[in-house]
Amino acid sequence: MQPILRRSLSGIILLAGLAWIFASADQSNSATAGRIPAPQKGFLAPDFRLATPDGRSIALTDYLGKGVLINLWATWCPPCRAEMPVIEKLYQAYQDQGLIVLAVNSTVQDDPTAISPFIRQYGITFPVLLDINGEASTLYELRSLPTSFFIGRDGVIREVVVGGPMSEALLRTNIEEILK
Amino acid sequence: MSILPLFQNIFAPPRDLILIILAAWIGLTLSERGAPGHPVNLDALNNLLLASLGGFLIGGRLLYALENFPTFSQSPGSIFSLNTALFDQWGGLAIAVLAGLAYGRRAHLPLWDSLDVLTPLFAALAIGIALSHLASGAAFGKETNVPWAVEQWGALRHPTQLYETIAALVTLAVILIQKPAAGPGFEFLLFVALSSASRLVLEGFRGDSTLILGGLRAAQIAAWFILLGALIGLDQRGSPGQAKGARVRARSGK
Repeated sequence: MQPILRRSLSGIILLAGLAWIFASADQSNSATAGRIPAPQKGFLAPDFRLATPDGRSIALTDYLGKGVLINLWATWCPPCRAEMPVIEKLYQAYQDQGLIVLAVNSTVQDDPTAISPFIRQYGITFPVLLDINGEASTLYELRSLPTSFFIGRDGVIREVVVGGPMSEALLRTNIEEILK
Repeated sequence: MSILPLFQNIFAPPRDLILIILAAWIGLTLSERGAPGHPVNLDALNNLLLASLGGFLIGGRLLYALENFPTFSQSPGSIFSLNTALFDQWGGLAIAVLAGLAYGRRAHLPLWDSLDVLTPLFAALAIGIALSHLASGAAFGKETNVPWAVEQWGALRHPTQLYETIAALVTLAVILIQKPAAGPGFEFLLFVALSSASRLVLEGFRGDSTLILGGLRAAQIAAWFILLGALIGLDQRGSPGQAKGARVRARSGK
């Protein structure tokens, strides 16, 4: 290809690119911005209402204005068991600053009789919720256990951590982020 | 179950990393296959890749720990955690590039020829990253009503991960079928030009762009400047002097 032709083509490509940058600009800020409930970083955390083993009913929206860690877990899941003591430790450290932990047991794939002994064994003091019908698991598109959602005070998901066990540093970093 | 949900279930995070590792393996194979046409010592190049990989993994974790020093100082053992989220990807990439450059200089590897040899690896990695986005639902599209829209994250959206995958596949195909007639660096710069051009176009359909200056997409602006640099580089390599030099080099087998 002749240099003049090649340079003209490059110029046209660059000009078209510039035009596209302005044409595809997002003036309405349509990029997520927490408007739609979806289990993804940057979206509004989908709401749910579940029962605790002692019969209380808790909804996610009950804690709007607080930093919420939703931890989806099961008693048979080794990484879930491994990270529970660290979550409890950090819950104790940060609850005064507005941290709430909602440990949503994926009861639909767990043994319901194992849950209360598990809570006692690990000395869990934060609310444990029973996802008996898999409603929350479906809503949060649960594919691996454990999965954790870090939700800011505005109800927007700040981070999603799939798998575990989460290290203390990972938990601290994200908890401090959602409590800002 | 249709193919896409099945694919997303099989490769749901963190299993989506398998796709990137698989792409790296295929890319390395392609790079090694194309290496004989270049004056590059393959063993030295493999060592360079190992140095870069080490730099990426160690550098990414160390930089993340430094950025979150107060947190890590309370649990120093977390620096050895297997959590992939405790990682500064861009910092790791920068360290990987520096480590690669340092090793390449020490081993007297010719920069542009080495990059040409590694281009199929980069192109294959781009496919792996696009497929991992498809599996995880990251890099999602903006809302749309086009007939091929997909339901994702609570809305009908552009299937940007599919666009990205197709663009990366086309880029790899172009890289593999083009004839190395120009000067050293041509294949690499062609890859950079094609990748930045596709990012420039496809970013306009994304629903998760970082916006600056009243709605402009930061990645598009970065891609435009990278495209500009790549086109200038390609133009220089396409000049008669460079091409002649490349042909002489190819004939002499150096």
